[in-house]
Amino acid sequence: MGCACGLDCPVLISYACSGAANTGLLADQVARKLMGDKVADMSCLAAVGANVSGFVLSAKETPRNIVIDGCKIGCGAKVFTEKGLIFEHYVITDFGVVKGKTPITEEVIQTVSAEIASRL
Amino acid sequence: MKVQILGTGCPKCLTLEANTRSAVAAEGIEATIEKITDIDEIMDMGVMITPALAIDGEVVSVGKVLNKDQVLALIKGAK
Repeated sequence: MGCACGLDCPVLISYACSGAANTGLLADQVARKLMGDKVADMSCLAAVGANVSGFVLSAKETPRNIVIDGCKIGCGAKVFTEKGLIFEHYVITDFGVVKGKTPITEEVIQTVSAEIASRL
Repeated sequence: MKVQILGTGCPKCLTLEANTRSAVAAEGIEATIEKITDIDEIMDMGVMITPALAIDGEVVSVGKVLNKDQVLALIKGAK
Protein backbone atom coordinates (compact mmCIF):
# COMPACT_ATOMS: atom_id res chain seq x y z
CA MET A 1 0.00 0.00 0.00
CA GLY A 2 1.44 3.33 -1.01
CA CYS A 3 0.52 6.78 0.18
CA ALA A 4 -3.17 6.34 0.54
CA CYS A 5 -4.33 7.89 3.76
CA GLY A 6 -7.71 9.46 3.09
CA LEU A 7 -6.97 9.81 -0.61
CA ASP A 8 -4.64 12.77 -0.10
CA CYS A 9 -2.52 11.60 -3.01
CA PRO A 10 -3.28 9.74 -6.23
CA VAL A 11 -4.13 6.11 -5.76
CA LEU A 12 -3.85 3.70 -8.64
CA ILE A 13 -4.49 0.02 -8.07
CA SER A 14 -4.03 -2.77 -10.59
CA TYR A 15 -5.80 -6.12 -10.73
CA ALA A 16 -4.44 -8.91 -12.93
CA CYS A 17 -6.39 -11.86 -14.26
CA SER A 18 -3.57 -14.32 -13.43
CA GLY A 19 -5.26 -17.01 -15.52
CA ALA A 20 -3.74 -20.35 -16.50
CA ALA A 21 -2.44 -19.36 -19.94
CA ASN A 22 0.76 -17.51 -20.78
CA THR A 23 -1.31 -14.35 -21.13
CA GLY A 24 -2.59 -14.70 -17.57
CA LEU A 25 0.97 -15.17 -16.38
CA LEU A 26 2.01 -12.03 -18.22
CA ALA A 27 -0.91 -10.03 -16.83
CA ASP A 28 0.26 -10.97 -13.34
CA GLN A 29 3.91 -10.20 -14.08
CA VAL A 30 3.05 -6.85 -15.64
CA ALA A 31 0.99 -5.87 -12.59
CA ARG A 32 3.90 -6.84 -10.34
CA LYS A 33 6.31 -4.86 -12.49
CA LEU A 34 4.06 -1.79 -12.29
CA MET A 35 3.97 -2.21 -8.53
CA GLY A 36 7.75 -2.63 -8.32
CA ASP A 37 8.22 0.51 -10.41
CA LYS A 38 5.77 2.35 -8.11
CA VAL A 39 3.43 3.05 -11.02
CA ALA A 40 0.44 1.31 -9.45
CA ASP A 41 -0.26 -0.68 -6.32
CA MET A 42 -1.58 -4.19 -6.84
CA SER A 43 -4.54 -5.89 -5.23
CA CYS A 44 -6.30 -9.23 -5.63
CA LEU A 45 -8.83 -9.72 -8.39
CA ALA A 46 -9.88 -13.07 -6.94
CA ALA A 47 -10.74 -11.44 -3.62
CA VAL A 48 -12.90 -8.85 -5.38
CA GLY A 49 -14.63 -11.67 -7.25
CA ALA A 50 -15.14 -13.50 -3.98
CA ASN A 51 -16.80 -10.44 -2.44
CA VAL A 52 -14.24 -10.04 0.34
CA SER A 53 -15.44 -6.79 1.86
CA GLY A 54 -12.16 -4.90 2.22
CA PHE A 55 -11.10 -5.64 -1.33
CA VAL A 56 -14.44 -4.70 -2.87
CA LEU A 57 -14.73 -1.47 -0.86
CA SER A 58 -11.13 -0.51 -1.68
CA ALA A 59 -11.86 -0.99 -5.38
CA LYS A 60 -15.02 1.09 -5.00
CA GLU A 61 -13.29 3.99 -3.25
CA THR A 62 -10.10 4.04 -5.33
CA PRO A 63 -10.04 6.86 -7.90
CA ARG A 64 -8.41 4.68 -10.57
CA ASN A 65 -8.54 0.91 -10.90
CA ILE A 66 -6.55 -0.80 -13.64
CA VAL A 67 -7.77 -4.23 -14.72
CA ILE A 68 -5.24 -6.23 -16.74
CA ASP A 69 -6.83 -9.19 -18.47
CA GLY A 70 -4.81 -11.80 -20.30
CA CYS A 71 -7.16 -12.37 -23.18
CA LYS A 72 -10.35 -11.10 -24.71
CA ILE A 73 -12.55 -13.27 -22.50
CA GLY A 74 -12.01 -10.41 -20.08
CA CYS A 75 -12.81 -12.15 -16.79
CA GLY A 76 -11.35 -9.30 -14.77
CA ALA A 77 -13.47 -6.75 -16.58
CA LYS A 78 -16.52 -8.93 -16.05
CA VAL A 79 -15.88 -9.12 -12.31
CA PHE A 80 -15.57 -5.35 -12.07
CA THR A 81 -18.57 -4.69 -14.32
CA GLU A 82 -20.75 -7.11 -12.39
CA LYS A 83 -19.98 -5.24 -9.18
CA GLY A 84 -20.47 -1.81 -10.72
CA LEU A 85 -16.84 -0.85 -10.18
CA ILE A 86 -15.18 1.74 -12.40
CA PHE A 87 -11.97 0.66 -14.10
CA GLU A 88 -9.57 1.18 -16.96
CA HIS A 89 -9.08 -1.95 -19.02
CA TYR A 90 -6.01 -3.44 -20.66
CA VAL A 91 -5.84 -6.79 -22.47
CA ILE A 92 -2.49 -8.50 -22.88
CA THR A 93 -3.29 -9.89 -26.35
CA ASP A 94 -3.79 -6.30 -27.57
CA PHE A 95 -0.02 -5.87 -27.16
CA GLY A 96 0.95 -8.48 -29.74
CA VAL A 97 1.13 -11.37 -27.30
CA VAL A 98 -0.43 -14.56 -28.67
CA LYS A 99 -2.36 -16.69 -26.20
CA GLY A 100 -0.78 -20.12 -25.82
CA LYS A 101 2.22 -19.22 -27.93
CA THR A 102 4.29 -16.20 -26.97
CA PRO A 103 6.96 -17.10 -24.39
CA ILE A 104 6.82 -14.82 -21.36
CA THR A 105 10.32 -13.40 -21.05
CA GLU A 106 11.72 -10.49 -19.07
CA GLU A 107 11.80 -8.51 -22.30
CA VAL A 108 8.09 -9.09 -22.95
CA ILE A 109 7.24 -8.15 -19.35
CA GLN A 110 9.28 -4.96 -19.67
CA THR A 111 7.78 -4.02 -23.05
CA VAL A 112 4.14 -4.53 -22.08
CA SER A 113 4.46 -2.92 -18.64
CA ALA A 114 6.20 0.11 -20.16
CA GLU A 115 3.43 0.41 -22.75
CA ILE A 116 0.69 0.27 -20.14
CA ALA A 117 2.58 2.67 -17.87
CA SER A 118 2.82 5.17 -20.73
CA ARG A 119 -0.98 5.14 -21.06
CA LEU A 120 -1.74 5.73 -17.39
CA MET B 1 -19.44 -6.84 18.74
CA LYS B 2 -15.90 -6.11 17.62
CA VAL B 3 -15.15 -2.78 15.97
CA GLN B 4 -11.78 -2.30 14.32
CA ILE B 5 -10.22 0.92 13.10
CA LEU B 6 -7.59 0.30 10.45
CA GLY B 7 -4.90 2.89 9.95
CA THR B 8 -1.23 3.39 10.47
CA GLY B 9 -1.61 6.34 12.81
CA CYS B 10 -2.19 9.43 10.70
CA PRO B 11 -4.47 12.23 11.94
CA LYS B 12 -7.40 10.96 9.86
CA CYS B 13 -7.10 7.51 11.39
CA LEU B 14 -6.96 9.04 14.85
CA THR B 15 -10.06 11.10 14.11
CA LEU B 16 -11.95 8.03 12.96
CA GLU B 17 -10.90 6.22 16.11
CA ALA B 18 -12.09 9.11 18.28
CA ASN B 19 -15.41 9.32 16.43
CA THR B 20 -15.90 5.56 16.75
CA ARG B 21 -15.19 5.58 20.48
CA SER B 22 -17.54 8.52 20.87
CA ALA B 23 -20.32 6.75 18.96
CA VAL B 24 -19.98 3.57 20.96
CA ALA B 25 -19.87 5.43 24.27
CA ALA B 26 -22.78 7.73 23.49
CA GLU B 27 -25.14 4.88 22.68
CA GLY B 28 -23.84 2.55 25.35
CA ILE B 29 -23.07 -0.11 22.76
CA GLU B 30 -21.34 -3.20 24.04
CA ALA B 31 -18.35 -3.40 21.77
CA THR B 32 -14.67 -4.11 21.80
CA ILE B 33 -12.76 -1.41 19.95
CA GLU B 34 -9.46 -2.39 18.40
CA LYS B 35 -6.97 -0.24 16.52
CA ILE B 36 -5.02 -2.03 13.81
CA THR B 37 -1.86 -0.23 12.77
CA ASP B 38 0.16 -3.08 11.26
CA ILE B 39 0.32 -2.54 7.51
CA ASP B 40 0.40 -6.25 6.71
CA GLU B 41 -2.67 -6.89 8.81
CA ILE B 42 -4.45 -3.97 7.15
CA MET B 43 -3.62 -5.28 3.69
CA ASP B 44 -4.63 -8.81 4.64
CA MET B 45 -8.12 -7.38 5.10
CA GLY B 46 -7.93 -5.98 1.57
CA VAL B 47 -7.79 -2.37 2.66
CA MET B 48 -5.77 -0.28 0.21
CA ILE B 49 -6.88 3.14 1.45
CA THR B 50 -6.94 4.15 5.08
CA PRO B 51 -8.62 4.92 7.38
CA ALA B 52 -11.00 1.99 7.33
CA LEU B 53 -13.57 0.57 9.69
CA ALA B 54 -14.50 -3.07 10.21
CA ILE B 55 -17.32 -4.53 12.26
CA ASP B 56 -17.12 -8.15 13.34
CA GLY B 57 -14.47 -8.79 10.70
CA GLU B 58 -16.34 -7.20 7.80
CA VAL B 59 -14.84 -4.03 6.34
CA VAL B 60 -17.66 -1.48 6.14
CA SER B 61 -15.82 1.70 5.20
CA VAL B 62 -12.59 2.48 3.36
CA GLY B 63 -10.78 5.78 2.87
CA LYS B 64 -13.27 7.91 4.76
CA VAL B 65 -13.18 9.85 8.00
CA LEU B 66 -16.67 8.98 9.17
CA ASN B 67 -18.32 11.22 11.74
CA LYS B 68 -19.97 9.87 14.86
CA ASP B 69 -23.41 9.53 13.28
CA GLN B 70 -22.03 7.72 10.23
CA VAL B 71 -20.17 5.27 12.46
CA LEU B 72 -23.31 4.74 14.51
CA ALA B 73 -25.37 4.03 11.40
CA LEU B 74 -22.89 1.37 10.28
CA ILE B 75 -22.82 -0.22 13.73
CA LYS B 76 -26.60 -0.33 13.90
CA GLY B 77 -26.75 -1.72 10.37
CA ALA B 78 -24.39 -4.52 11.34
CA LYS B 79 -26.43 -5.58 14.38
